[in-house]
Amino acid sequence: MKTLALEARRVSKQFPDGTHALEHIDWAVQEGETVALIGESGSGKTTLLRLLNRLIEPSSGMIVIQGEPATAHDPITLRRGLGYVPQDGGLFPHWTIEQNICLVPQLLQWSKDKLDQLVNTLLPLVSLDPNQFAGRYPIELSGGERQRVAVARALAADPPIILLDEPFGALDPLTRQELQEQFLSWKRQLKKTMVLVTHDIAEAFRLADRISILKNGHLHQMGTAQELMQAPATPYVHSLIQHYHSHLS
Amino acid sequence: MRSFKPTARRCFARQILIVTGMIFFGLVCAIPLSASQQNTIVVGSKNFMENRLLAEMFAQLIETHTNLLVERRLGLAGTHVCFEALRTGGIDLYPEYTGTGLVTILGQPPMGEANTVLNRVRAEFLERWNLWWLAPLGFDNSYALALPRKQAQALGLRSISDLVPVASSMKAGLGFEFIERADGLPGLAQHYGLHFKSVVGMQQTLKYQAAAKGDIDLLDVYTTDGRLAVYDFVVLEDDRHFFPPYEAAALVRGETLEQHPKLGRVISLLAHALNAKQMRAFNLRIQEQGVPVAQAAREALQHLQLVSTNQEPTQATSPKASSFVSVLWESRATLASRTMEHLGLAGLGLLLGILVAIPLGLALERYRKSAEPVIRTIGMIQTIPSIALLAFMIPLFGVGPLPAIMALWIYSLYPILRNTFSGVRDAAPHVVETGRALGMTEWQVLRFVRLPLAAPTIMAGIRTAAIWTVGTATLAAFIGAGGLGVPIVSGLQLADVNLILSGALPATLLALAVDGLLGGIERMVRPKGLELAR
Repeated sequence: MKTLALEARRVSKQFPDGTHALEHIDWAVQEGETVALIGESGSGKTTLLRLLNRLIEPSSGMIVIQGEPATAHDPITLRRGLGYVPQDGGLFPHWTIEQNICLVPQLLQWSKDKLDQLVNTLLPLVSLDPNQFAGRYPIELSGGERQRVAVARALAADPPIILLDEPFGALDPLTRQELQEQFLSWKRQLKKTMVLVTHDIAEAFRLADRISILKNGHLHQMGTAQELMQAPATPYVHSLIQHYHSHLS
Repeated sequence: MRSFKPTARRCFARQILIVTGMIFFGLVCAIPLSASQQNTIVVGSKNFMENRLLAEMFAQLIETHTNLLVERRLGLAGTHVCFEALRTGGIDLYPEYTGTGLVTILGQPPMGEANTVLNRVRAEFLERWNLWWLAPLGFDNSYALALPRKQAQALGLRSISDLVPVASSMKAGLGFEFIERADGLPGLAQHYGLHFKSVVGMQQTLKYQAAAKGDIDLLDVYTTDGRLAVYDFVVLEDDRHFFPPYEAAALVRGETLEQHPKLGRVISLLAHALNAKQMRAFNLRIQEQGVPVAQAAREALQHLQLVSTNQEPTQATSPKASSFVSVLWESRATLASRTMEHLGLAGLGLLLGILVAIPLGLALERYRKSAEPVIRTIGMIQTIPSIALLAFMIPLFGVGPLPAIMALWIYSLYPILRNTFSGVRDAAPHVVETGRALGMTEWQVLRFVRLPLAAPTIMAGIRTAAIWTVGTATLAAFIGAGGLGVPIVSGLQLADVNLILSGALPATLLALAVDGLLGGIERMVRPKGLELAR
């Protein structure tokens, strides 16, 4: 069996207002694997993602990252080692594309020479021309271009694990499809461990190796697309699959 | 952390530059405001002409007959401000009237014979505050009610008792202090059973014009006011002896008299030297003939042979009807220094506001629970009328620039605090979250994301505060802090529109200039990338 990149062991999260966002989640991602977290809003999928980079801490249970408890390092160091792509790109509007891409390496105090190279290697990777884009500000880019930059920024310090929070959710259907195709090619090229939060089951089936289905803080099932379709573990999973099929036809 | 590439570094350098510039500017402006020295006597006065004239006469006597330096804080806003300033050591002396001391300051009933009143105030002031009433100057400037002769004759009015039956159809224009004072309208109304149809509060000078034009039927006057003759007003006899005697005298701090024994003797040169008729003539010189107070005081002292006649020969009086432009031109040097004073007051108040409100706003953003109570409290202070706030500062800081700067500081807090807090709190929450998720520390998020994004909002708050302070600083003249309010206050007392404008116009231009300048800075601190390049 491959080593585990990410693990949640009996993790629960209750917020101060009393909401049980997650209850007793056991969940694991293998190294190099892409796992989708799918569920409605309030299902706990974003909560789980935020637990992974310690933006929040579990109420009980433990998060393990590459074999070590997440609490073994301080959260700042941990986060600099985890790529992150938010839904709206989350680019700093007052920084140029180049500055945005260099953010994490800057935090890690890379040398100037290495920083200067970054934009020329990363922008082509996300199919953007460095000469054209490096000096621009985020507001001058289209939504799709901004999302590409966000991916480049997440890759900049070459982290082994990348967390994506509904990265294509806010894009128009055409751009989304284009980026989904790109995502598949990044996945093949880079062999990163990726966790992809989405509410679109078609996207999850298309992009992920395995899918985790969450509802009301419970993990209903985790498996490949085929496993989910052949043996849905709960009525909820079954209804999701039904819904997916009815959309296809 | 290393700086974030050129833009971030340039932004920060620019912010530092601006802040340093402001501090430097504030310090430069503060120099002329530095506190008074040991051998300086601070002479104060209330904000009406006779009181200013007497104060100026005291000042010139001291300058002529001693080696002491004199600092003038003339035109302080009313009895309360003057007295508090004297009590707390902001000024050393000012001209006061015995009846006012008895009724307004001691809060005792408005009755008594002249000597009884004088002895009473002397004993009580000495015992309570170590303040000395020097020998009376020889005239009594009482309150009185007056109206144009024609109306008085038509209605057959000679005394206040005659007025009682017809008062219910009359509109009275009275001074603000008179309306409030126990020895003013409240006591008078009770004593005589007097009830007017309506009472409007009016500025001293404007009352005369309003009465002459028939806008008001009746007004309160000082019996030594020179304009009584000019406007041909009839003073109604106080036939039931309501008004107490108001003998003018210098009221001086005991400590000052101890320190400078000669001072008492010098001011006593004026003891019993003046009478009401002379005072009306002196007052008239200023009120109607446009003679500057300093010159009228010198003339009066020369007339009394208390200063030699050959020093500084009297200049030809400038005609009052000179054009506005020439008024501005003649007073350009004074105006320039008043403008600097004004900028100093507003600038220092604002600077202190920035230094306190921005860190406080950032702190409140971290401790959100206390934010609303704190901001709301400061917002409530904001609603205190500015002249009242200025007056509150006097017991704490005396008179002069310091209490004014403190009041302006308090005024500048709210807009800066509110904008800093909400600007930083609301700065692009998604972007802030992303910064955290990528491993920025809280400090880095604040320094590189929230502050730059909030900068235009914070700057807008500073800009609002700046315009407020520049505007409010005109009121600082009422507590002797100088600035462009000085010509406005004097102009109001003299009903001299040109003089008022010579303060109001520069003040307005100053506010516009400050607004423009800060608007420019606001655009400068606005990070690039927040709007599409044009």
